[in-house]
Amino acid sequence: MELVKAFEKIVGQDRVTTSDAICQSYSYSCFLGMNWVTKPDMVVIAETPDQISRILRVANRHGAPVTPRGAVGQGGHGGPLEGGILLDFTPMEKIILIDVENMKTIAEAGCSFFKLSQELFKRGLMLPTAEYGPGPSVAASAITPVNAFGKTRYGRNIDLVEGFEVVLPTGEIIRVGSMAYADSDFGPFYRYITGPDLVGLFTQANGAFGIVTKVAYRCLKTPKHWAFHSYYWPLEKMEQVKKVLLEGTALEMFDVHVNDRWKYAGLEYVKMMPQLPEDCHFIVYFTVNSDNEAELKAKVKTVEDLCKEHEGTYLPGIAESFFAFWPTFFCPVSNPIAATMAKVVLDVTEGNFMYIYDSLTYPTSWFPEVYTKLMEIGKKYGIWGKPRYTVYDGFAMKSQVICSQTWAFVNYNDPHWVEQIKNCRDEFREWYGKRGGVFQSMLPPLTPDYTWTNQPGAYELLRTIKRALDPNNILSPGSF
Amino acid sequence: MKDLSQAKLEDFRERLNLCLNCAACFYRGPIVPHNWRELPPPEWQSPLKKCPSFEHYQFRSHTALGRLTLAALVWQKKFPITDDLIKILYTCTGCDMCNEICQTFLPLYSILALREEVVERGVALPEPLPEMNTNIKELHNIFGRKSKAKWFEKLPIEGDDVYFAGCYANYRLPKIAKATVAILKAAGVNVASLGDEEKCCGFVTRWSGNRVLANKLAQQNVEAMKKTGAKRVILSCAHGYHMWKNDYPRYVGALPFEVVHVTEFFLKLLEEGKIVLKNSLEGKITYHDPCFLGRHSKVYEQPRKVLKSIPGVELVEMERNGKWSYCCGAGAKITLNCYPDFASATSKERLLEARAVADTVVTACPTCFDHMKNVSGSENMELKFYEFPILVAEAMGINF
Repeated sequence: MELVKAFEKIVGQDRVTTSDAICQSYSYSCFLGMNWVTKPDMVVIAETPDQISRILRVANRHGAPVTPRGAVGQGGHGGPLEGGILLDFTPMEKIILIDVENMKTIAEAGCSFFKLSQELFKRGLMLPTAEYGPGPSVAASAITPVNAFGKTRYGRNIDLVEGFEVVLPTGEIIRVGSMAYADSDFGPFYRYITGPDLVGLFTQANGAFGIVTKVAYRCLKTPKHWAFHSYYWPLEKMEQVKKVLLEGTALEMFDVHVNDRWKYAGLEYVKMMPQLPEDCHFIVYFTVNSDNEAELKAKVKTVEDLCKEHEGTYLPGIAESFFAFWPTFFCPVSNPIAATMAKVVLDVTEGNFMYIYDSLTYPTSWFPEVYTKLMEIGKKYGIWGKPRYTVYDGFAMKSQVICSQTWAFVNYNDPHWVEQIKNCRDEFREWYGKRGGVFQSMLPPLTPDYTWTNQPGAYELLRTIKRALDPNNILSPGSF
Repeated sequence: MKDLSQAKLEDFRERLNLCLNCAACFYRGPIVPHNWRELPPPEWQSPLKKCPSFEHYQFRSHTALGRLTLAALVWQKKFPITDDLIKILYTCTGCDMCNEICQTFLPLYSILALREEVVERGVALPEPLPEMNTNIKELHNIFGRKSKAKWFEKLPIEGDDVYFAGCYANYRLPKIAKATVAILKAAGVNVASLGDEEKCCGFVTRWSGNRVLANKLAQQNVEAMKKTGAKRVILSCAHGYHMWKNDYPRYVGALPFEVVHVTEFFLKLLEEGKIVLKNSLEGKITYHDPCFLGRHSKVYEQPRKVLKSIPGVELVEMERNGKWSYCCGAGAKITLNCYPDFASATSKERLLEARAVADTVVTACPTCFDHMKNVSGSENMELKFYEFPILVAEAMGINF
């Protein structure tokens, strides 16, 4: 009660609750088949950095754990691992700055990535990636390792983050990277200010080192001309697919994406697209852009030459009608994929779908080995191909790294399939982890131990930093 | 696929888990971003504020996503139905904005299904819903009145065109019924009514979660209507229209008559030259789309076409209009009666939006009209209000 009263003084009575039902509504992440249900003990809605600072000072005095959360979305969990205070950021949704000339922007932590992205777009700017849905905030996109299309040339969102305003666990409000200059005449002009890169300390930190309240991004100019093309390969041409992925990334194409044919099982089933050719197993999509048509044509020719050299066959219609509309197209609410997925799930498998591996990250050169292993284990546990439609979905990223996810249509209310998926994960994890594989969708303990055991020195340093910044371990406890 | 509007909680078994958790149903900001070449098409340009109960109560629990979460947990027997849960559940206005946004998963229907679960388990509903449902059952109206207002001369009890007035026009706002009948007669429509056989349409019962009683009322009303020989049932109430048009066929099967709202029927009569709008009405008028006529029933253009035909009328749109119109706060009569403070706060927001562009608000739902007018009065908003048939009658120069 003492805590409740203290927080009510800070944010007002109507923004603090210990109601079981309200807290429970923050507990559940429906997606990914993970069924995470972790209820906070209290929810506090914060609107300003000053409020958050005062909340953290109080929480520190009481040793009360605090987990920040925006609207979250898609695969995100965004809740505490166990009880404590959930800090709801949804009212912190303002765009603070759009500097068109210097191509910089600043937004409050809870501002939706969609909202920021769309406002930038209206001004001729863009952030190359967009989240899968309207919920994820600009801060969530920076403190977690999110992935989406549009990363091949520019990397992930965190590669575009230039500065943070952060409330440290002790309540101190600091600004790092370009945000340190945000109020100066020069504005938030550069991430790499004097000294080491402190922005990196908070990216992918899951809010464990401090609560991000503002994010500065660098933006890109929106190219005028775009082209989208896809090519396909049979299953036995995995090596050729690998070469195309590597070369497409080396040539700095805007986006290169790969998936297997099962991604379209739903669309084929509901007859939203024609049957794929028999020998089509892998489909690679290329998005190229330019400010002038001549250059675009040359880039399209490069794609064509690359694929011909590596025995790919042009597959018209798919990239042109699918990737051309990304990310508008891929938003769940307007997304035929989501609708058809639901139909397939309900009509065909009479079940649901489960993510088997989310955001596996590995060298692109290992694509054949990883795919082969996924296939081998998938077959062993009865989830590969029809009728489980196990989908491989890979995002080629700069630095010759690929990030892939795999899901299968199984009923995760059925203990048999839950067990099969678990076995699948465990067996793959052993193989993958021993080779240095990284699971990036979440921080432990939501991801396997290999995430840390593969980087022991770095992990120890992170723990040391955590202890120094947060001696009472109140922020997102369990992350480090 | 299954018609989810009538689904029970167990029917959402898989769908609850399929929700992509995208937050489009409530979060401030666009529901779709730009693609790499252009902004989203106009039909996806959603308003910043979407969910009235989220805007008022602020917690995630008071959103379609939050309620869906709780519905999932109740279905899985991992969370009990508590007083807190009841309040969260019944502060949903039923405005259908979340379904408009998320046509893939239709979250509003899981809220309705959870309400039905509440009723099935015999958990006490928020006050005064038990009393309202008793009134409906015993006195056939939501107000608990023993007799109807004296609103018009006795109409024939048989005919091709039967007017179903509904509780508000029968008991509280008889001018709406008077105007409607006067317009119909002036247009040469030989209008009949169910007379004493007219019973509450069951809308409040349905949105309380009492499917059994709503079904029974539907059976009774449809049987009574069949006896009149009606070829067309005319409604001035948006809630009643939604019940007759959308829910009754699901309860009793295809209806042997057409169901029309006055906005639709008056436009038809206007186009046929049977209604002449001759009196000029000055001022800037804005039309508030009732949730159950607009999003729930997709009637958007007809009232606007009629209003634009009135001489002198300058019809202007509020920022949120048509499919993105904001709820007036009355919330299927549930929030109006159970959570009046929330209902008033939501209405105030809507009225400020109206006042920014117009001096007169017209709507085509007696509940929206009554609620907004009352809130406007208590907030000294200086807005004029018209119920659709009354404005049309005035424009026709009819004394009623």
